[in-house]
Amino acid sequence: MNHNTNLDKCVACSTCVVQCPVSEVTSKFIGPRMLGPASQRFRLLNDGEDNSLSYCTNCKNCDISCPHGVDISNINMLARAEYCREHRPSFRDWVLAHGELEAKLVRYLPTFLANMGQANPITKLLLSRLGISPKADLPKFAPKQFPAMFKAYKQPEGLTKKVVFYPGCFVKAYAPQVGMDFVWLMNKAGYYVECPDTFSCCGTPLYTNGFEEDARKNAAANLMEMAKWHNEGVPVMSLCPSCQLMFKEYPVYFPDLAETAGSTDIGDCMQFVIECIERGELDPASAAVQTPLDIIYHAPCHLRAQGIGLPGFDILRMLPGVNAVNADAGCCGISGSYGFKKEKYDIAMAVGSKLFETIKDSGIELVSTECGTCKVQIMHGTGKSVAHPLSILRQRLEGSN
Amino acid sequence: MKHTTVVIIGGGATGIGILRDLSMRGVKAILLEQGGIASGASSRYHGLLHSGGRYAVKDNEAAKECIEENMILRRIGKECVEESEGFFVLTQQDDPDFEKPWVEACGRAGITAEQVDVKEALRLEPALDPTIRAVYRVPDSSVDGFRLVWHNAMSARRYGGEMLTHHEVIAIEQEAGKVKGVRARNTMTGEELRISCDMVVNAAGSWAAKIVQLVGLEVGVQPDRGTLIAFNHRFTSRIINRLHQSSDGDIFVPHGSITILGTTSFHADRPDAHDVPTADILKLLDIGEVLIPNLRSYRILRAFAGTRPLYVPKGAAAGRGASRGFHVSDHSEEGLEGMVSIFGGKFTTYRLMAEKLCDLVCQKLGVHAECRTAIEPIIESASPEMLEKAAKYFPVHGVPLAANRLGEAFPVVVEKAAAMKSNPLLCECEMVSRAEIEYVAADPASQNLTDVRLRTRLGMGTCQGTYCSLRTIGALTECNTPFAMSPADNLRDFLQERWKGLRPALWGLQAREMDLGRAVYAATLNIDGAKNEQKN
Repeated sequence: MNHNTNLDKCVACSTCVVQCPVSEVTSKFIGPRMLGPASQRFRLLNDGEDNSLSYCTNCKNCDISCPHGVDISNINMLARAEYCREHRPSFRDWVLAHGELEAKLVRYLPTFLANMGQANPITKLLLSRLGISPKADLPKFAPKQFPAMFKAYKQPEGLTKKVVFYPGCFVKAYAPQVGMDFVWLMNKAGYYVECPDTFSCCGTPLYTNGFEEDARKNAAANLMEMAKWHNEGVPVMSLCPSCQLMFKEYPVYFPDLAETAGSTDIGDCMQFVIECIERGELDPASAAVQTPLDIIYHAPCHLRAQGIGLPGFDILRMLPGVNAVNADAGCCGISGSYGFKKEKYDIAMAVGSKLFETIKDSGIELVSTECGTCKVQIMHGTGKSVAHPLSILRQRLEGSN
Repeated sequence: MKHTTVVIIGGGATGIGILRDLSMRGVKAILLEQGGIASGASSRYHGLLHSGGRYAVKDNEAAKECIEENMILRRIGKECVEESEGFFVLTQQDDPDFEKPWVEACGRAGITAEQVDVKEALRLEPALDPTIRAVYRVPDSSVDGFRLVWHNAMSARRYGGEMLTHHEVIAIEQEAGKVKGVRARNTMTGEELRISCDMVVNAAGSWAAKIVQLVGLEVGVQPDRGTLIAFNHRFTSRIINRLHQSSDGDIFVPHGSITILGTTSFHADRPDAHDVPTADILKLLDIGEVLIPNLRSYRILRAFAGTRPLYVPKGAAAGRGASRGFHVSDHSEEGLEGMVSIFGGKFTTYRLMAEKLCDLVCQKLGVHAECRTAIEPIIESASPEMLEKAAKYFPVHGVPLAANRLGEAFPVVVEKAAAMKSNPLLCECEMVSRAEIEYVAADPASQNLTDVRLRTRLGMGTCQGTYCSLRTIGALTECNTPFAMSPADNLRDFLQERWKGLRPALWGLQAREMDLGRAVYAATLNIDGAKNEQKN
């Protein structure tokens, strides 16, 4: 798709501006319409880039709300990539974009060392110098990362069906237990889980921070691995809405790669679980735990942007004893690494304030969401505990926790 | 009664060019324009600064004039001319036998026509049809007509030239075979004005014949309608011409934020034949698709028409066959002293036309002064410091736009913006800020929103006035801009003028925009009701 043809669809109605969570809280951002289709007409004429290009969080609420199907956030992301070809992003952005590499580097360190930045005032000062807000709660590295846990885990014998799991960086480094919960659920449903080492970061943090070439390398490797499984007819899926969305957007960012790869779509684990339930491979009605539990659910923006409904929320609502309500309070504000940046921390917190208030006002103690960084932000903004819908599903089915 | 040495009739490129030239030579002059500055053919054309390639084969003299003036304008009018180039493209449908004589003719006229490898041309311009057969690079460029005319006007004022817009000439007074003065009527107020003068210069373009009729003479000016289409964005970076015998719909000009495709050539029975038949648009699209196969997927912003003031001496060819050269008439040859007319020509050569005419006027007045218009830049460029300062009050893309549009007035507007609490964009599509609009609206030459539009590009982008017009009329009413029209009438006229360009191409994406505009103004704001209410 030619994004310059796409910009022609804008009728300047400004619906996107009304729905943009960033425009609502800061005047530093000129808004999705101005930065997107309106500026694009001038990008074709002259150089120069508005300072507010870096203020777009790429949350995609503009795309969701556009009545004419303008690909607003991608006009901005393509412009950012173009801009960063000439203007190197900061070292701070490099650090935030390359979380996968850092996770690999710290994997053999003891956890307390790896997570030094969280407690140590000197590290905190260094991070602040770098441009990372000292007020932000960076996610903590898990004592053992997912690949190691997965390798050590013995799946039951005799499973004839197979799925491929794309874990994504957050599950790998910070939330391996969620990945293991998924593996447990799949095994229970009769599926053997493959998790190839060749899968790398989807590229979202790289691309949105201006490291287009690094993102391209990852996309190429991921697509090659995925094609292998597609050819064998084995479904490939991910837990992370942002990873899923990135795969779906490879054709926009890397049209040449996508052309050779065929379909770049990656499945959603929650959707697959629902299919398992529909096929009778999993049965929430016979959950071991059926005690009453109130849950407030937050739908990540990148899930809503995919237009696949809210399968994680649907799963929660199938569980006997669970009363799940949808917070329906917009963006949490974090947008990957955006809310960790010093100059953006306050914006991210202001964006999330509506969600935080909704959660606090609900009186519900347990929050559930699929997205790892949404979880970090909600915990930071509300102090509540946050669990992945599939972790809750496992706990209720298994009953041992 | 006012007195001056020369009265110039017509506020297009030629008339304003003459005003500047005479003022620089120290000759007192007043210019009368029936509408707004550059509201006729000077704003109703491609915006193409010809290299001359188009005329090389058929009219080598006109081609030579073009390339010479092209080079001069790139120098003196940097703010109005984009740093661009043109391609001449031989498509599957063009006669390959035309290529060689064309290249030779370009050489004769002094136009550099350098062959570009087709593959390289397609890399540079991916929107082109991949089956094209040959491509040449020429020094075509795009030139902003409104802006160039306005910059000339600002320069002329600096040298003491005067201009009155919305003044229609109703009589040319004579005594004993000699021009004595001009009577004009203010079309906004109905007031009449007399100016006594020694000479009258008729530079009224397609209206020139009408002016000559006022003194009982006749002249062969033939208005020729050309239709053009404006698209919502630039889909090429260069001017794209067909390499063939000049014809309809064979030039694409990327121009500021838009692309213009044109044109047609039809005999027009009146100089203001600005209505656009839908058939013209469909015809242009059919022809345009030969160069740009995806043409119909691009959004049409509007269509518009202008009339070329072709000079057709008795018995000569009209339309495409007519010469694009110009002609100066001294009416003393017909027994009327003190009146000269200029006919024909084209935008690219406006400066040369003005020079030739002013030479004649000065000779008649006994003034000995050299023409300096080819050497002296029209306006002073904005300084880097000023551009940097402006970046605090304008969005990044808006800074060069405002600087180039405003020319010498840019520092004034930047100071104005700095003094304001905030400087919001009133027109987001073309990035026109409140400070710029207030400044332009306060100019005596601005009598309504359309005048403000011609100078700022307000309402000329994607929304075609849907959002900016209401904001602007509100802002200008708030700061008491003395327009002759009421705000409701002003808004209504402005919108109707915008919608006039949308109606003949009312399909696809622009139909959605129009429907939104209709819903806002005709339904929600009931603008027709507002007008009736005013009457009662």
